[in-house]
Amino acid sequence: MNEFSIKNLITFQKTPLNLLVAVITVLLLGAFVGGAVYFFLHGHHAFNVTRQHPWGLLISMYVFFVVSSTGLCIISSIGHVFGIKEFQQIGKRAIAGAIITLLSGFAVIALEVGHPVRMLIYNVLTPGLTSAIWWMGTLYGIYLVFIMFEFFFLTVKVNHKWSKIFGIGGLLAGLAAHSNLGAVFGFLISRPSANGVFYPVYFILSAMITGCYLIYLIYGFKYRNNYPSHVIPMLKKLNKILGMLLGVLIFFEAWKIITALYGDMPERAETIFHVIQSPTFIFGEVLLGMLIPFFIILFSNAEAIKPMVYASLTGMVGIFFMRYDLVHDTLIYPMDMLKRSEYQLPPTFVEYFPSATEFAIGFGGIGITLFLFYVAEKLFNLDDNGEH
Amino acid sequence: MARYGMALDYKNCINCRACESACKQENSILLNKDHYRIWVGVKEIEGEWPNLSIASSVFHPSQCQHCDNAPCQLVCPTNATYYDQNGVVRVNPEQCILCTYCINACPYDARYVDDRTTTVDKCNFCADTRIARGESTTACQATCPTKVRIFGDLDDPNSEISQVLSKREYKQVKESLGTKPKLFYLI
Repeated sequence: MNEFSIKNLITFQKTPLNLLVAVITVLLLGAFVGGAVYFFLHGHHAFNVTRQHPWGLLISMYVFFVVSSTGLCIISSIGHVFGIKEFQQIGKRAIAGAIITLLSGFAVIALEVGHPVRMLIYNVLTPGLTSAIWWMGTLYGIYLVFIMFEFFFLTVKVNHKWSKIFGIGGLLAGLAAHSNLGAVFGFLISRPSANGVFYPVYFILSAMITGCYLIYLIYGFKYRNNYPSHVIPMLKKLNKILGMLLGVLIFFEAWKIITALYGDMPERAETIFHVIQSPTFIFGEVLLGMLIPFFIILFSNAEAIKPMVYASLTGMVGIFFMRYDLVHDTLIYPMDMLKRSEYQLPPTFVEYFPSATEFAIGFGGIGITLFLFYVAEKLFNLDDNGEH
Repeated sequence: MARYGMALDYKNCINCRACESACKQENSILLNKDHYRIWVGVKEIEGEWPNLSIASSVFHPSQCQHCDNAPCQLVCPTNATYYDQNGVVRVNPEQCILCTYCINACPYDARYVDDRTTTVDKCNFCADTRIARGESTTACQATCPTKVRIFGDLDDPNSEISQVLSKREYKQVKESLGTKPKLFYLI
């Protein structure tokens, strides 16, 4: 652990990129605080969620953060748990990122759930064991404890035996928690477009992709896209892993869409047909999130490293749209419309656009991540110390 | 112990919405809020003049279906949604954390957020008002001028609802989802 002081905290190299990131971080933190204050004054009326569309941007951002956390944990385990040498250097930085993104997600969800304190009490007193949300929340709590101990034994009191044990525990708890988060949507029998096995599996896959993107961004920023020799083999291997994962994701998505459209099953086919025509899907999910990074890897024969940092930036924007669409697409088919044999209602899809408060809290969470990561970089030695 | 359900002779409904008013009065439901606890769906006449299908026009009273296998109860992380001793699906506002998962999970659009308690609320067959006072009817049933609603114990073979369901055909809404709803629409 490094010495911690306020002076040390506000001292950094004043390069244009550093200053830009510092300004963005402060603005996002300010937005989060402002959004939180407005939420405390106005409650859920500060959000554009409705009875027809009860979940919105904050749920999307929560999923975005916890996907990032699980992804970083899984990718870091390649070296740290499974012993692949080139990946051992990312362990500490990735686990720090996993803790920080999880905490950011918790900060966002605490302002989405109507009664967070009551949640902590009754999750213990009267647990709903058939609820995917209960399992997801509980397992994420266990996961947080595991990865915090793992980080402790990686950086503060270095002990590789214990860090590996907690690493394995964290990986298993993270996988269980994250697939349960997928099940939160997959269990919804009322929403045919989400119901089924797809989301619990897809969540793990997209978490791994998110972890790869984030490793690129973290290393790209740290080395200013100018890498020392020991980093390049790791990033090239990461390219190959990411390429394979993106290929599998594209394959999964294609078959999800084809099976949803095939046979024109009521509710599901109509929803998916509407979804695949939306710009957030075409440009956000497909182009930014999948195709740009995939084609860079494909056409460079997995050798391109510097372009992949920029592609990871578009990839993360794409991942955001995947999370946003996940929530929105699940709720887009109006419940009233499901009963149209009984009701005379206009057959339109439910519309939703986040409020300013939702944007402030949701994107403000990114400010928390950036700030905590900066503090972690100052406080701990996150570079590999070569002892494995 | 009973297993309460409701049969609705919905073709007799005249859309006077007295049931909605009675429910609001009895259970202190917020005024000027449509689809809170109970409502009447309206399906207007199909076709274009002069080929109008008068038979297609129907009023469809609806509310929580009080499923025997309620998705809202399954997904509740704190067991705030529970079955009471009479099989009625209810919400304990003290335990509700307002995650709104149940609103997403309900296939019948029966749940809403009560702005006064900031918790999720729904029809509870007047369980904490009329039934708690020892009465045997719900407010919506008691006020209905055309006797659309028959409320009672499904486990009692001599109850009016059991008698009606044994003699008349009925349909349930979205029963294919396996929710086992306890609202029966008489055909």
